Formats: sequence, C-alpha cells, structure tokens
Amino acid sequence: QNIFTVCFSVGYSVVALNHVIDFKEKKQEIIKPVSPSELFPSLPIVQGTSKRIKVLTRLTLVVSDPSHCNLLRSTSANIRLYDIIAVFPKTEKLFHIACTTLDVDLVCINVTEKLPFYFRRPPVNMAIDRGIYFELLYTPAIKDSTMRRYTISNAISLMQICKGKVSSQSENKPLELRGPYDVANLGLLFGLSEGEAKAAVSTNCRATMLHGETRKSACGVVYTVKKPRKVEEEETAVPACKKAKTQA
Amino acid sequence: RGPAGRGMAAAAFERRVLRSAAEHHYLRVRLELPDGGARPNAAQFKQLVVTALRELHGEVGAALPVDVLTYEEKTLSAILRVISSGLVKLWSALTLLGFYQNRRCAFRVLQTSPFLLALSGNSRELVLD
Repeated sequence: QNIFTVCFSVGYSVVALNHVIDFKEKKQEIIKPVSPSELFPSLPIVQGTSKRIKVLTRLTLVVSDPSHCNLLRSTSANIRLYDIIAVFPKTEKLFHIACTTLDVDLVCINVTEKLPFYFRRPPVNMAIDRGIYFELLYTPAIKDSTMRRYTISNAISLMQICKGKVSSQSENKPLELRGPYDVANLGLLFGLSEGEAKAAVSTNCRATMLHGETRKSACGVVYTVKKPRKVEEEETAVPACKKAKTQA
Repeated sequence: RGPAGRGMAAAAFERRVLRSAAEHHYLRVRLELPDGGARPNAAQFKQLVVTALRELHGEVGAALPVDVLTYEEKTLSAILRVISSGLVKLWSALTLLGFYQNRRCAFRVLQTSPFLLALSGNSRELVLD
C-alpha cells in the first residue's frame, strides 16, 4: 500500500502489480489476481493531469525447466485474467523458447549475477519481431556496489544486442523506487540514446500493455481517437494490429 | 493604398538557433530519509552529493563542479547547479544512491532545467478540477 502512494507521488501514471510464480517449489497454482479495486477504494490522480492512475495486474513466471512452460499453453482461466505476462528464463534453451514460441509480453533478464548464457542475435531478433520486450530490474544497482557493476555490465550487453527494446522494472520497497525521468536517465548510462531511454519508460511500456491486450483478445487492437473537427471521421491513434499466435 | 510599404527597405532578420547553449543545469532535489534520525546540514549534504558521484563515477566524477545553491534542512530539499556536460553523471549518481550513513535514503529529483527561473513553478503541483 505504501509503495503505491510513493509511486503516485513520483509521477507514474500506470502501475502493474506483479505476482511472481517460481516453479522450483512444488505445486504452485496460478491464483486469480487481486483486483485493484479491492486494494484501493479510490485511485489518486496522476500528477499534472486530471486522469486517474491505472493499475494493471501482471504475472511473472520463473522458469527453469521446459515443462513449466506447459502452463502457459494450458487454458487455465486464471492466466487470462492477468493483463501482462512476463517470463524469467533461467537457461539458454528456455530463453530461446521464450523468445520464439511462448506467448508472453516480456522477457525478464536477471541482472544481479553473471548471466549463465550469452545473448544470441537470432532469438532476440525474433522476439523483437513478435513484439516482445526485454526487461531489467534497476533496484539492485541502488543497494550494493557489486550488484551495481553487474547490473550495468549486463544492461550494456543487453542493449548492444537488442537495439534498445527495453523496459524497466522496480522492486518492492518504497524507498527503492525512482521516478520515471530518473530511470530514463539511467538508460543513458546503459548506452541508450536519449530518445530510446525515454521510450524505455514510456513508449515501450505502453507497447507492452497493448501487446497484453492483444494477447487477450486474440486478434488485434485498434485505438481510435475522434478528431475534434470532423465528428464522423475516426482516426487510429495507435495502430497496434498484431495477430497473437493462437495456441493450439 | 499607395506604395507605402515599398519605399522602405525590408527589415533584415537573422535567425539564430542555440542548442544546448546553457552553461549550467539546475536541479531541485529532495532527500528522503524516512527514519527520524539526525538531518544533514548543508556541508554534509554537499558531502553526500560528492560521495554519490564518487561511488558511481569515481574520482573524475567527484571532481565535477557541483554547487548547492540553496538548502533547507527542514524539508531536506536543495537546488543544485552543475555544468551542463555533467548533468547525466550527477543525475544518475543521485538516482543510484541508496544509503546515507548506513541509513536507507532516496533522492527524488523534482525539477530540472537549464534556467533557474523555471524551477520556481512546478506544473505537477497544479490541481486540475
């Protein structure tokens, strides 16, 4: 609860509640996500605008074994209730599978240790073509100087391979959260250009949200905005028509 | 409708565009120290900023010319001035600072601008009805 007040005060307009499932423990079930309206009776307003903050739900799957991916293919109703799905692969083969065939929106990269596998260009390019973004946690860089070095070096190698299609993520404690512009500045440290760094916090995140909606609807998403002058004509504001792969 | 304007020579205008010409950048920051311990005074605050720079960017970073223009101990907020080329270094160093005297802390950068006057108004604090 505390984190959210901080989030709102710092200037974010959309927040996703993350629920992590680790398959190494036995018998994890995917539970229904807690609906945001239960947590906050009234959402505060984004700074400087008159809209309310949007809260989404997100699921992160920590996979270390190919059999864990079966869960994504199953027609469990609870998975469909999450807005964004992210996967955290632990081995190179799983990374390859996640980039190429799995139906997810984000691939998380662990930055706190020396990666056990190198990124190769073909699966990364395929992931970008499918609209999947990569994700980095920036909180370890705040805690400890060794972690800071690992975070920065992993982030730089990620940037070199994936041409900047990255979004960022924070962790649990309210003091470890940083504002959106601060995080965009960190992107400059990791080797992104200024436009890419700002996109990492804004455009790419929005693209991920739309990708999640596309996945839910199985067809495509078209956002329309009414032009103020001609009322009958509608114009697509964000043409995000992507066909999500329908799972057998 | 006579040739009133044509008798005069057309005024000559020259357009100059200055990009990144400001010498300094100004940042309004606030330090968040949630535990109710002793608050740093101005000198300690400057020391903290220099320490942050040293931790992230080393001795060269610590040597970056940073000035604390104002500091309020009650709210722990300050206005910093830095050479424009050092803005990214300073900002990233402040973002990644986690501890002050082994106490958890966080820097929140509220406003940043190449003009000091721009720091006087904050559009995020506007309440829109």
